[in-house]
Amino acid sequence: MSPDFLIALTMLTNFTLVATSRVNKAIQLVVVQGILLGLIPIAMGLGRHLHILFMALSAIAVKGWLIPFLFRRALREVHIRREVDPYVGYTMSLLLCALGTGLSLVLAHGLPLKPGTSPTFLVPAALATLFTGFLLLVSRRKALTQVAGYLVLENGIYLFGLLLVEEMPILVETGILLDLFVGVFVMGIVINHIRSAFDSTDTRHLAELKD
Amino acid sequence: MPDITLILLAAGCWMVAAVLPFVPPVKEGRLSTVVGALGSLLAFVAALHALLSGHASHVDLRLWLGPVRLEVDALSAAFLLPLHLVAGLGIVFGLEYWPANLAKGFGRSLRFYFGLLVTAITLLFLLRNGLVFLMAWEAMAVSAFFLVATEHHHPEVRHASWIYLVCTHTGTLIITASIILLAHRMGGFPWLPISGAAEDLDGWILLLAVLGFGFKAGLLPLHFWLPAAHASSPSHVSAILSSVMLKTGVYGVLRVSSLLPTVPAWLGGALLALGGLSAVYGVWNALAQRDYKRLLAYSSIENLGIIAMGIGLGWTGRATESPILAALGFGGAIFHVWNHAIFKSLLFFGSGSLLHATGTRDMEALGGLAARMPRTALLLFPAVLAVSALPPFNGFLSEWFLYRGLFASLKGGYPWSAGLALLALVLTGGLAAVAFARFYGTVFLGSPRSSAVDHTHDPSALMLGPMALLAGLTLAMGLLILPLLPVLDCIIGLLAPSPGGLSAGSLAAPLASILGRDLRLLLVLEGLLLALGGLGLAWLGGRKVRAKAPPTWDCGYAAPTARMQYTGSSFADGWALALPGVTRRVRTIRRLFPGPQTFRLKVVDAVGDGMVVPWFGRLAARLLRFRRLQPGFLALYILYLLLALLAVFLWLLVRGRFLA
Repeated sequence: MSPDFLIALTMLTNFTLVATSRVNKAIQLVVVQGILLGLIPIAMGLGRHLHILFMALSAIAVKGWLIPFLFRRALREVHIRREVDPYVGYTMSLLLCALGTGLSLVLAHGLPLKPGTSPTFLVPAALATLFTGFLLLVSRRKALTQVAGYLVLENGIYLFGLLLVEEMPILVETGILLDLFVGVFVMGIVINHIRSAFDSTDTRHLAELKD
Repeated sequence: MPDITLILLAAGCWMVAAVLPFVPPVKEGRLSTVVGALGSLLAFVAALHALLSGHASHVDLRLWLGPVRLEVDALSAAFLLPLHLVAGLGIVFGLEYWPANLAKGFGRSLRFYFGLLVTAITLLFLLRNGLVFLMAWEAMAVSAFFLVATEHHHPEVRHASWIYLVCTHTGTLIITASIILLAHRMGGFPWLPISGAAEDLDGWILLLAVLGFGFKAGLLPLHFWLPAAHASSPSHVSAILSSVMLKTGVYGVLRVSSLLPTVPAWLGGALLALGGLSAVYGVWNALAQRDYKRLLAYSSIENLGIIAMGIGLGWTGRATESPILAALGFGGAIFHVWNHAIFKSLLFFGSGSLLHATGTRDMEALGGLAARMPRTALLLFPAVLAVSALPPFNGFLSEWFLYRGLFASLKGGYPWSAGLALLALVLTGGLAAVAFARFYGTVFLGSPRSSAVDHTHDPSALMLGPMALLAGLTLAMGLLILPLLPVLDCIIGLLAPSPGGLSAGSLAAPLASILGRDLRLLLVLEGLLLALGGLGLAWLGGRKVRAKAPPTWDCGYAAPTARMQYTGSSFADGWALALPGVTRRVRTIRRLFPGPQTFRLKVVDAVGDGMVVPWFGRLAARLLRFRRLQPGFLALYILYLLLALLAVFLWLLVRGRFLA
C-alpha cells in the first residue's frame, strides 16, 4: 500500500464523518481514521526506525482500542444514538468540508514550508483533517460528537507531525498521544458532569455557566 | 562573603519564614518571625556594607530566558535598607498585633504573603534583567493584593483589593511597554547602561516608566487605589506597603533613568510640577479624613509627591548639566525615601496599636488617649513632628535639601516648574503640620469621645519595641546628617553621571562649603532647640503642684460634656472646606428655641472618586457591548479559533504570494 492511498482514505473518512448522523458510526469512523494514520508511517517505509515503529504501534493501540473503549462506555452511560439537530446541517457540513479540503489543497501550495520536505499529499491532508475537526467541533451539539471532532483535530496535528517525523524526537510524538489521551479523559469528565448537572449531554447547557 | 550572597540568603530566609507557619508543629508563628527577622538583619547589614564600601557585587545566572544578573549597587542598597528595616520590625510587630492562630484572622496566609512580598521586593531591587524584573514585580503586586485582602470577609476590603489589583495590572501593562522599548533600545533584556548619543526613544521610555511606576508610587491622577488599600490592610502590612512598596515605583523610575544616556529637560520640569501637585493634593485630602489610616495613606501620597519633586529636580539638573541641582534633587529624594520609610512605618505601627486597643479607625470616636496609652503617645510624637517636616527630626532635612535645590533652580533660570514646586512644598509643609496636629490632638488629647476608649492600654514590648527603634531613628537621622552625606553622594553618582555630590570633596568648592556651613549651623540650632526643649520638660516635670484635671475646655459652660470639645473635623474646618469633593449639609437655625439639628460632612476624593472612577464606569459601559462575543457556547469559541487560524493561513499565503 502506498502512503498516498492511505492518505486518500483518511480524507474520505473525513467526508463520511461529516455526513454521518449516528454517533456509533462516527466513533467507528474515528477509529478507522486513527488506525489509518497509525499505518501511514509504516507505509512510508519509516518502520525501520525502531522508535517510529513503536510510536505508530502505540498510536494504533490508543486510537484503535483505548479510545473506542472509553467512547463505548460513555455511550452506554448517556443513551444517545444520533445527533438530532446540529447547528449546521449534514449537507451543508459536507459542502463546507469539501470547501475546506479544496482550500487546504490551495493553501498547501502556498505555505512557506521548510525546504527539503517531501511534497506529498501530507500537508493538504493534514490541513483538511484539521478543518474537518474544527467543523465537527463547531457544528455539533452533543458532547460525544464534539469529542469525535476533537480527535479528528488531533489526527490533523498528527499528520502534520508526520512531515517531520524523522527529525522529530519521540518525545514530541508521545506528547501528542498524551495530549489526546488527556483530551478524551477531560471530555469524558465533562460529558458526565453535563449529564449529571443538566440531565442531557447537550453542550448548549454549558452556556448557563458563563458569568 | 560578598554582599549579594548575604542578601540572597536573606531572601531565602524570608521564603522559609513564609512557608514555616504551614509546617504542622509550628503554630504560633514564632519560629517564622525569628527566621524572617534574621533574614532582614542579614540583608540590612549587607546592604549597609554595600553602601558604605561603595563596591557593587553581583552574581550571574543563566536562566532559560538568557543571562540574568543580580547585582547590589548603591541604588539597590539604598532601597534595600528601608525594606529590611520595616520588614524585620513589621514581622516582630505582627507577632502580637496579628497572631498566626487567630480565629478568622487568616494569620497564616498573612504571614505567607508577607514573606513572599519581602522576597519579591528584595529580588526586584537586585535584578538587572527586564523580563525577570517584571516577574518579580508581578509577584510583589499579587502578594500585596492578598495582603490587602486579608480581611476579605468585609465587602469594603474586597472592593479596595480589587481596585488595587486592577490598578497595579494597568501599571504593569505600561511598565511592560516601557521595558520592551528599553529592550529594543539596548538590544536585549539584560540592563546595561546605554552609552552614546541620546535618541528620541529615550524620552518615550522614560515617560512610560513615569506613568507605569507612577501608578505604584501614587502620583496624582493614578493615586486613587491607594487610600482604601492602605486603610484596609493590617497595620504592619500598611507600613510595608506605604514605606516600601510605593518606593518600588520610585526605584523603577530611578533605575530606568540611570540606564539612559540623557534625560529630556521637559520631563524633569513636568515631574517636578506633577510631584508638587500630588503633594498638595495628598496632604489636603489627609486634612479632611476621619479615618486615621486613610489620613496616613493620603500623607503617603504627599510624601511620594515630595520624592517625585526631588527626582524631577535631579533630572532637571542632569539635563542642564548642573551638578548642584542633580545632587540636591536626587540626594533629597533618596533621603526622603529613607525618612518617609522610617516615620511612616512608625505612624502605621502606632495606628496599629491604636486599632489594636480601641478597635476603631474613626478618629472622632477617640480622644484623651495620651493618659491611657502614654508610651504609644510618646513614641508617635517624633513621627508626627517628622512628617510635618519640623526640626530637628529627619523629615525636615530632606525637605531642606529640596528647598535649597529649588532656590538654586530659580536662580539658574528654570522658573516655572521650580516656582510652582516651591509654592507646593511650602503649602505641603504647612498643611501637613495642620493635618498631623489634628490627628495627634484629636486622638491623644482632650477627653474620650466614645466608649471605644474605655478599656485601652499600651501594647506590650513586642509592639512598642519596633516603634521605639523607629522613633529613635527619626531623631538620629535628623542629627547625624553630616556622616550620611558621602553615602548619599555614592547614590547620586549612580543617578547623575556628571560629577557632583553633597559632601565637600565632590562638589565645586564654594557651593559645598556653603552647604556644609549651613548644615552645621542648622545642627547647632537644632541642638539648642533640643536643649531648650529638655530644659522646659525638666522645669515642667520638676513642679510639684499638679492642677486637678478638668474637662479639656468647658467654654465657660456650667455642665461641660466630652461632646463639646473640638472635633477633628471642626479643627480642620477652615482648610478642608476649600477642598473640592467635600460636601457639607447643614440646616440654618432660624427659631429662638430650635429643635434637634443634623449636620453631615462627606469627603470624597475629588480626582479619584470624582473623576477617574466615573470615567472607568462609562468606559466599562461602552465595552459591555463586546460581551456579545461571549455567549457561552463552546462551539462559537471554537469557531473563533478556526477563524483566527484561517486568517493566519491566508495571511501567510498572501504574504508568500505578493510580498516576497
